[in-house]
Amino acid sequence: MNPPFSVVGHNVTPVYGTGKVTGSLKFPADIVLPNMLWMKILRSPHAHALISEVDTSKAEKIPGVAAILSYKDVPRVLFGPFEYELYPLDGEVKFVGDAVAAVAAEDWNIAEEAVRAIRVEYQVLPAVYDPEAALKPDSPIAVLNLPEAYTGTPWWEEHGSATHLDPTTNLYSAAKGKPTLVYQRGDVEKGLKESDRTVERLFRQPMESGVAHEPRACVAHYEDGHCTLWCSVQEPYKLGNSVARVLSLPEESVRVIATAIGGGFGVKVGGRYAVLAALLARQTGRPVKIWFTREEETLDAHNRPALVHYVKAGVKKDGSLTAFQIRTHLDCGHWLGKSASRLAEGMIHHIMDLYHGCPNVLWEVFVARTNHPAAGPVRGRSDMESHFAVDSVVDELAHAIGMDPLEVRLKNRVHEGDTLCASPGKVMSSVGLEEAVRKGAEAIGWERRQKEPGSDPGMKKRGIGMAMVIHSAGGQPFRTSAGRVEVHDDGRVLYFCGTADQGSEQQTTLRQMVAEILGLSMEQIGGVNADTALCPRDTGPISSRTVYSTGIAAVRTAEAIKKKLLELASRSLEVSAEDLELREGFVQVRGVPSKRVSFAEIARAAGGPIIERGEFNAKEQPSIPWGFAASFVEVEVDTETGEVNILKLVSSHDVGRAINPAIVKGQIEGGASWGLGHALTEGFYFDDRTGTALNQWFLDLKTPSTLDTPEIVPIMIEKEEPTHPFGAKGCSEISIVGVAPAIANAIYNATGVRMTEIPMTPDRVLKAIRSRKGEAA
Amino acid sequence: MRITLKINGTAHELEIPTNWTLNDVLRNKLDLTGTKLACNYGGCGSCTVLMDGVDVYSCSVLAVEAQGKEITTIEGLSDGAELHPLQRTFADSYAAQCGWCTPGMILSAKALLDHTPNPTEEEVRLALSGVLCRCTGYASIIQAVQDAGRILRGKA
Repeated sequence: MNPPFSVVGHNVTPVYGTGKVTGSLKFPADIVLPNMLWMKILRSPHAHALISEVDTSKAEKIPGVAAILSYKDVPRVLFGPFEYELYPLDGEVKFVGDAVAAVAAEDWNIAEEAVRAIRVEYQVLPAVYDPEAALKPDSPIAVLNLPEAYTGTPWWEEHGSATHLDPTTNLYSAAKGKPTLVYQRGDVEKGLKESDRTVERLFRQPMESGVAHEPRACVAHYEDGHCTLWCSVQEPYKLGNSVARVLSLPEESVRVIATAIGGGFGVKVGGRYAVLAALLARQTGRPVKIWFTREEETLDAHNRPALVHYVKAGVKKDGSLTAFQIRTHLDCGHWLGKSASRLAEGMIHHIMDLYHGCPNVLWEVFVARTNHPAAGPVRGRSDMESHFAVDSVVDELAHAIGMDPLEVRLKNRVHEGDTLCASPGKVMSSVGLEEAVRKGAEAIGWERRQKEPGSDPGMKKRGIGMAMVIHSAGGQPFRTSAGRVEVHDDGRVLYFCGTADQGSEQQTTLRQMVAEILGLSMEQIGGVNADTALCPRDTGPISSRTVYSTGIAAVRTAEAIKKKLLELASRSLEVSAEDLELREGFVQVRGVPSKRVSFAEIARAAGGPIIERGEFNAKEQPSIPWGFAASFVEVEVDTETGEVNILKLVSSHDVGRAINPAIVKGQIEGGASWGLGHALTEGFYFDDRTGTALNQWFLDLKTPSTLDTPEIVPIMIEKEEPTHPFGAKGCSEISIVGVAPAIANAIYNATGVRMTEIPMTPDRVLKAIRSRKGEAA
Repeated sequence: MRITLKINGTAHELEIPTNWTLNDVLRNKLDLTGTKLACNYGGCGSCTVLMDGVDVYSCSVLAVEAQGKEITTIEGLSDGAELHPLQRTFADSYAAQCGWCTPGMILSAKALLDHTPNPTEEEVRLALSGVLCRCTGYASIIQAVQDAGRILRGKA
């Protein structure tokens, strides 16, 4: 579709804007039902233990306690968001904070009192906290009772295979002792031999919390074999599947509503707490509400995984990369390993597609279970795990051969039509990488960087660094996308869509596309989102997929309705459909606005609402869109304190067409700000003797404030994506990815010192500077 | 215990447990759920309300301490007919992404604009540093506050 557009491309009033600024928008935590009980979870103080006994007799006697569930009282049915791997409650606790029992009571004070009154006898077991130590033959086993009835691949994941679960090891692998994943192309030994320079480095990243501001909540209501849940969940259909499995209900009897949730970032999936609330609602016959505390939100959610990369890479004098040899150890926490191995698969494939020019790669990943909270996808999934290491090494190789690091990146980059390892059998769609890199370089003043790293005189040294980035932009073939549009006989046009608004105002973007096709203004289109009883099944807002995948489904839905309206109007107006157009709720004869029929009249004549639905699955097309970006950072490093001051951050993006530029800009700025936190201050840490979390509280997670976030310059390259009707692609996560490597490279430019561990805190920077000085002395 | 709280211009007689915070009362007694809660220990600012015009963390104020004070929550900001300029500019600038910090952010901004009608960017950053946002990177928020300041000055 070609411009000019009247709705697409404009910063229209956001659909949920008024609700958010007046406080009237109801989040799951805001839902109150009559006669509602409050639920609290008793959590394990031990990192690993078997529960020998749960005595609830004292707690049950507390006035106001309605019901208590321990593992003995719940169905032994597996469920889960990534694979069927969790029981509602289990006799084995696997991390500090794991659920032991659940209480429903008249208010939360009583529920808390009851939780404290439950007596539990634990048989404490040895635990393991390090993904490398977990692979040693004498390591404690993190999860003893692996599901006896392992059910393999859930219905929503058509690809991938059931994985062998070996109870004698912590390794998640299909074959004993073998890596979880091996990716190989070319001959890495040969590639290293052919190189003129090589670099060898070890990189570390800690676990990181998503820190969504709304602690997750669920209100469960059970009546006559039907369960309704208002829940902070990004994938309501999957949660419906989990509740249906555990309560032995048909899926259509479970309704999940997740219209608006207070931040998602990938972490609001799954939901044992919601399954327990549903069980308690059924048992008590009353609505049950649970609202996590901040500590629970941090502990009982999945986090970005801790990992270690051992990297060796080579380059020729002309800047051609010859080889990447990488071994990665990844801590998947107490989950079985599917989510982490899927994440690791993306970690390899995405960046090795970005560096398509490098012919030789050997990348082995070992995913190990530990007694930490679960690890899984958090904003920038897979690419947050790879870019810090890989981009830093590319930068170092460029310096080793004396070439401009920007040119080395571009020399080895992916091009349109290149085959993808991320989507086998598919090729790369549009690539706006060169433009993103060049425009970003111009904005930061790339030529101002130190020609000799560390040559800036004085104690405070300035430097400029960059990173080149790839991330998902939609079109994942195994995801479901659908929409439905209804034109009612009173003229209402409603768009139904399964995605939650977790903060990126998807409903605005999606309705803009529907409105554009139907000739409507935004005020003329209403709708419902993320209500599984009313909306067609959609995977939900994950992996930056909505504007592309759900968007194409929305466009198809709107096109189907448009065709129907034209057909019906053509009959009543006795004018050929080609001579008609849609304008402001009317179908009118082109150039003759007086000859028209309203949507309402068409629907009335048709005998009721006109309803069409549309679907999309990227399996049908040969090329897949990817998001591309470049981050540029100027830093000032205080070589006496190790403090890194960010002077300027440029985030330059190939975004496809921006359906709503203000939303795209907000995603770029927000991601970049989080990227700074990730690079410099964040991290979620545990005592390595007890497994107890050390910083589960809000301030201690150190997310950036107004005073920590510098000037962010967003750049949007609107290169149309040819496989999307409006030329759009996803861009809601990617800006977080390049910040840490760009900062590390800028620190190198300023000081001549390589940072290899995140976060790059003053003590680490200072230590690195001092150890280099020591070498020189 | 029995207390009286004046919230958004209306006096409420309430029977509450002594240990309840102002946030507990607002959200769970008066159903004013526009006031959010994200950490419950004064670490993030999502629960910010105005107490005699000063932005305070409602999770860290005991309900009994709020007696005799004028409390303003997000529900009391507009006159009902039209949005307060801060609400208008926050919506128009897309300064609300997930919306969870937004009510607190807007009230903190109101406290600033009430005594500093024409703040510099640095003054806005300092004034809002007690309310954290995970979504926006703050640029749109700072823009919205300065835009609202302009509208309010035009009105005065």
